Amino acid sequence: MTSTRQQTMIGVLVFSFIVGVISAPSVAREFTPAEKELIVKSGVTPEREAYLKTKPYKGITLTITVNRAGKEGATSGPLYMFGELWGEQTGGKVEVIEIPFSEHFQKVWIDLFTNTGKYDCFLAGADWLGDLVANDYVVPIEDYMKDPLFPQWDPATIPPSLKQVWTWEGKWYITPNDCDGMVLYYRKDILQDPKYQKKFWDKYGYELPVPPATWEELRDIAELFNGWDWNEDGSVDYGITMHLKVGGLGVYHFEAMSVPYVISSANPDMWWFDPKTMKPLVNSPGHVEALKMLIELSKQGPEAAISWRLDEAWDCFLRGDAIFCFTWGDLGSLAQDELKSKVKGKLGCAPLPGTLRSYDPRSGEWVEFTKPNIVGNVTSIGCWSAPVSRLSKHPEATYDFLAFMATREANLWNALYGWTGNDIGRTFTFIKPYGSTDVSEYTKRGWNAEDAKEYSGAYYKNFYNLLQGPPLRIPGSVSYNSTLDLYVSQAVVGEVSPKEALDKVYDEWERITKKLGRAKQIELYKASLK
Amino acid sequence: MREGKARYLFLMPSVCWILVFTIFPLVYAARLSFFSFQLGRGMSFIGGWNYVDVFNYSRFWNSIITTFFIAAVSVSVETGLGLLLALHFGREMPGNKIFRSLLSMPLFATPVAVGFLGLTIFYERYGPANLFMSLFGLQVPWLSNTFWAKMSVIILDTWIWTPFCFLVFLAGVHSIPEEMYEVAYLDTQSRLKIFRFITLPLLSPLIGIIVILRLIEALKIFGLPYSLTTGGPGTATEVYPILVYRMALKHFDFGYASALGFVFLAIVMTIVITFFKRLRRIYE
Repeated sequence: MTSTRQQTMIGVLVFSFIVGVISAPSVAREFTPAEKELIVKSGVTPEREAYLKTKPYKGITLTITVNRAGKEGATSGPLYMFGELWGEQTGGKVEVIEIPFSEHFQKVWIDLFTNTGKYDCFLAGADWLGDLVANDYVVPIEDYMKDPLFPQWDPATIPPSLKQVWTWEGKWYITPNDCDGMVLYYRKDILQDPKYQKKFWDKYGYELPVPPATWEELRDIAELFNGWDWNEDGSVDYGITMHLKVGGLGVYHFEAMSVPYVISSANPDMWWFDPKTMKPLVNSPGHVEALKMLIELSKQGPEAAISWRLDEAWDCFLRGDAIFCFTWGDLGSLAQDELKSKVKGKLGCAPLPGTLRSYDPRSGEWVEFTKPNIVGNVTSIGCWSAPVSRLSKHPEATYDFLAFMATREANLWNALYGWTGNDIGRTFTFIKPYGSTDVSEYTKRGWNAEDAKEYSGAYYKNFYNLLQGPPLRIPGSVSYNSTLDLYVSQAVVGEVSPKEALDKVYDEWERITKKLGRAKQIELYKASLK
Repeated sequence: MREGKARYLFLMPSVCWILVFTIFPLVYAARLSFFSFQLGRGMSFIGGWNYVDVFNYSRFWNSIITTFFIAAVSVSVETGLGLLLALHFGREMPGNKIFRSLLSMPLFATPVAVGFLGLTIFYERYGPANLFMSLFGLQVPWLSNTFWAKMSVIILDTWIWTPFCFLVFLAGVHSIPEEMYEVAYLDTQSRLKIFRFITLPLLSPLIGIIVILRLIEALKIFGLPYSLTTGGPGTATEVYPILVYRMALKHFDFGYASALGFVFLAIVMTIVITFFKRLRRIYE
């Protein structure tokens, strides 16, 4: 009874805290004078310096769409700040149009389809590009990139895996901003504790691997730590935390997990469709195995995670209540905010685990490995970066603003603060020896040095992995992904078996492909893989 | 003659309004349902294939079952609760007006806002609902279990709509002449018998009207489940309007979404017409 009362009290306090945080007035964010100076000088050529003196975009107002998160929110917040700074330099003005995530693509698509041209550019997910290029709704930016009047950003700072999502058939369409890929976050302090290592050995008969190299190892560790108070804070803790709500981006857990079950050196590109026939591969034995593993993992965390969105899953990890979370780069930088995080200085990061066998759809057989098959991950939904709309009345000014945000100092600033929602991925955001940045760039922004090294190393290895799952970014990607989301959720809650769920996805994907035109989809899918 | 013409002139605004905002969209949607029309990706005539496809689609049947389950349970509970509350607050008692006002407040809440509010109430780790349940040693998986997710939608829908039933029943209770009760009290002291033989028969036309009005509204439920569960977990709360919304505005498949809309219209019309015919037969 006492413990029930205690739990109730803790609950009331935590709930009041959450409500308080939500309702608390937000603090306006601004650049420090030193940051401002660095950013405005970044990527400026002598020609641009002269150009800026003429205030070239005076009287011009640009419109950019973004997922709604507010003036201090992820992805949208930096646009207000950079918009103002860019305006001071060029005389132009940036109007940020915030649209709820679930309606963003639809609103942009209708604007383009109806020839309205309300938006000059849109902070788009990587999976939009196929639709946009196929319909000639966006302009290639290569000529702008060569022009010294515009801010200079170096394409060589972008790993090939990320370059693929911002280009189409090798041609640049998108100016880089956010770099999204999932890595594994874990509690280094707990996993390296000899007491727990012994416990693991006693139960599983092998040494606790830190970090786990395969999904099976991860499952064993998560199982050991699930359902008891290993951090000794008086409440039950978990093995893993995930965001599995329909529409809560849970499908990207499956996407990230399924890669090594299908992609390997034997099959570097056939992941979602057979490029010759556009027949879905989504119900292949490899995908089914991956979904079975996702379901097993979902049982090693809170049951409530089935209804959790991103923020709830992250919150569980940040509060120190879960051993693992595999997700995007935001979590690493959010972990550094001691107001919200109890895991600063305790963070371990690694590329996502691999598999000891992978299904090759070409031969129809499993390929066995002696070392784990680890595949990089660039998420098709993220990498929020903007192309210039074909309907823009001010394409030069639009590119100018986007390039301004893509310069070294602007992007570094964006990537190292957790609240911005923009993550690391370019060479100058990686700590030496992986990249060109010193760890002090991180520590002066409040990072723990060890956390920063773990984080930067994991992302370098992820983005520079030669094996990558080619993201789905053809017309209809939003439909393909939302359908997959629904049936993955059905399988996770046990409404249907993994095979049944993926068979249903197969049928729905076939419907979508038929409606979009198979021949056209084959052509575009092949182009998307280049 | 002049008067006749003026009459038509006065009718014009209403006729225009109906033509533009009712007839045209209806005819346009009916036409679309015979086309394969993906926004921005071309349009081609396919006859009745969209309709054939509707009945072969597993999510169609799932959403029909889900919608009718949620509608049936919530309308029954709302009607029952509304009637009980009206009987209770229909009597003269101190503070009655305040209670009545408080009881009718949820009716003015937007379903989407209630859905988001529900997210915090049914938050499984620290939400108030489970904090309350923990006093009895219980934890309910409100939003992560397929059955309880449906129940969460039903509970919130009941919270919004019971006041509507209550207000209508209250008016009905007040319209029953006091003399009838006085006469009845001469025959029996049993309140149950009086309710069964006096109140219920006199309120039965109202019950019919409330059930049909609420049923029509409940079958269109969208904002509440969409903001609370997004149709999940899995497809547990994917009610019909969510399916139509997804087809139209996620997949941009307007032809198919139109066909889905017309099939549902036919189902609802059949239910309503059958219900009214039955109601008329009872009263004739």
